Amino acid sequence: MKLAKLLTVAFLTAVALFAFCFPATAASGKPIVLGCPLSTAFLYGWDAERGIKLAVEEINAAGGVDVGGQKRPFKVEVMDTRDLEPGVPVSEALLVVEKLILEKNADFIMGGPVRSEAALAAMDLLSKYKKVSIVTTGVLTPKYHARVGKNYDKYKYCFRITGEAKWMVGGEIIPCLLGIGKKFNLNRLFIMIQDVAHARAGGKIIAKIMAKKGWNVLGQEIYPTGTSDFSMGLLKARRKKAQVILIWMDMPQTSILLKQWYDLKIPALPFGSIISAAEQPGFWKATEGKGEYCLANVVNAGNAPCEATPWTMKFYNAYTKRWGIEPEGYGTSSSYMAPYVLKAAIERAGSLDPEAVIKALEQTDMMGVYGRIRFDPKTHQVIPSLYPKKGAVGTIFQWQAGKRVVVFPKSIAMGEIKLPPWMMK
Amino acid sequence: MDILVYGIINSISLALVALGFALVYGISRLPNFAHGALYVVAGFLTWSLARAAGINYLLSMLCAMLLTGIMGAMIYRFLLIRVRGMAISEIIASYAMGLAILEGLRWWGFKGMTYTLPPFVEGSIMVLGVPVDYHRLLVVVIGAGVVLVLWLFTHQSRIGLALRGMAQDERAALMLGIDSDFMALLAMGFGSMLAALSAVLLLPLGNIVVEEGYNILILAIAVCIVGGLGSWMGAVLAAFLIGFAQIITVVYLGSHFQMVVAILAIIITLILKPSGLFGKQKELEERV
Repeated sequence: MKLAKLLTVAFLTAVALFAFCFPATAASGKPIVLGCPLSTAFLYGWDAERGIKLAVEEINAAGGVDVGGQKRPFKVEVMDTRDLEPGVPVSEALLVVEKLILEKNADFIMGGPVRSEAALAAMDLLSKYKKVSIVTTGVLTPKYHARVGKNYDKYKYCFRITGEAKWMVGGEIIPCLLGIGKKFNLNRLFIMIQDVAHARAGGKIIAKIMAKKGWNVLGQEIYPTGTSDFSMGLLKARRKKAQVILIWMDMPQTSILLKQWYDLKIPALPFGSIISAAEQPGFWKATEGKGEYCLANVVNAGNAPCEATPWTMKFYNAYTKRWGIEPEGYGTSSSYMAPYVLKAAIERAGSLDPEAVIKALEQTDMMGVYGRIRFDPKTHQVIPSLYPKKGAVGTIFQWQAGKRVVVFPKSIAMGEIKLPPWMMK
Repeated sequence: MDILVYGIINSISLALVALGFALVYGISRLPNFAHGALYVVAGFLTWSLARAAGINYLLSMLCAMLLTGIMGAMIYRFLLIRVRGMAISEIIASYAMGLAILEGLRWWGFKGMTYTLPPFVEGSIMVLGVPVDYHRLLVVVIGAGVVLVLWLFTHQSRIGLALRGMAQDERAALMLGIDSDFMALLAMGFGSMLAALSAVLLLPLGNIVVEEGYNILILAIAVCIVGGLGSWMGAVLAAFLIGFAQIITVVYLGSHFQMVVAILAIIITLILKPSGLFGKQKELEERV
């Protein structure tokens, strides 16, 4: 009996000593809840969810977030906003944001809403509840950060860590198009866009600038979300002798567009300013290679393989290992970076107080997956650049022999742009 | 020429999409609002059998059509039969079923653009100076064939005549020993198979996405309302009217307005001729 008691005491002492000497590395405090309103049935929703979850798993495994000396883990709460569905159901997205704040007690909002219209509408809610939010996917409209700039006190809670249409057009798409024109002697542009805010704005600006640059802008076709037949638009492009077709659509049906482009052998290079289907690694198989030569903009580096920073391929490989698929849509690397940026800001602020975290986020300056991450302190938009050492760098790739080959910007390019053989005649 | 060639293609595609809906309503007076969902189900079934299970493509399509037909019949047998004769309840029940199927598919992970079916024949040809892919030409040929077979079936076969008997006067058909419920079950089965046939013919031109179920339902309803609920020949004519109107709209106004054509056609028909071109519900007009 005595021996049993002795053994029990010895065992308990050993357990206590072990716990004292080797404290758990994982964070054990009250979780910091990240409320993620995402359109989870769509690429820009599920890629963001996976990116955020991967970063959170890594952060929590490394000990969590140091909040004023206490280690606390992140906890991800995802709710489906459905805002990428046809009809742009904004009210549903707003309901989700409010649910995340009131029911899930989200400390921060991260990810979406994904559709520009919904995100703009959600800004007032974030302001009302004083919830710091980092938009990581979708929401390309320049209005988002312009509103922060115009009314800082009201909208200071809103940050965007991903690219926006104004820079994408002026800084990436136009220079890339002009480069293509110069290299292959092309100057006839046809525009096919989706009937949503960012695409309409993007298409309009591109048409205006390209006309000024001496290109012939032959026409613009606008398609409602969910359209599944593009043949008449493609025939229009062919009839007008277009050489480049600029596509700006974030719906999965864009793979149909490219299949039809191939089947009808339209002699024009498809250039996806935003073309959700072509962004995905599964696109090649889904179109049976018919999407070859399509160019696609994935907004931030890291969403297609390249060596923008030492962290780029590290992220790329970690994501592939964790989810069994390469990073897909344009919101992946930015969604992965957001928890890291927020973690650093919380640690600098030493608390979860929104005012302190906002100030700390404004001071962000870290080398991330897609270059140097800094926010404009007046508009809370991530500062873009063509060089990873200077700012957040974008990516335009082309499908070549089943691979996504980064072709723009030059600083991170992995190959050269090619034309389809039926354009060579 | 673009308008003529693609107008015909679009019209026959619309006719294919709407025939199943028209057949079910024409015979059993059941508005099958799960029609779009059954279309999508057939697409995913074909994909699962051909791509995932590696079964022969043609066999997969036939199996998918058969399974969708059985599914449609089951929906009638276990759900719609209970609310038959109550128009609003029929709409609510069938729409709810369609919604459950579509959202269920999404929930099970059928999302994204990776679900595609290969075209029957690769390549394209110039028709009257307009490039057309072979698959679309096949859709036209098969579509015309389906209309012909359907006409022969309903005018020559015993079951077809019974179905028409039901459509003309259900009570008289009952007196002649035709089992009304069994015929409605058959109609639902055939209608669902037609939805599946249109899916396997048209989906290789695009990809299989859940949202397509809602579009297909709207198009089918538009065609049937314009053609006249209950008249499947009216549906074919309406498909040509809407099909050409859509293509003309795309050419002269822009793709943006393509879907508006279908909705506008419903509104105009309901205002000017509520029973549609060949509709048998004259009481609608009397009411108006």
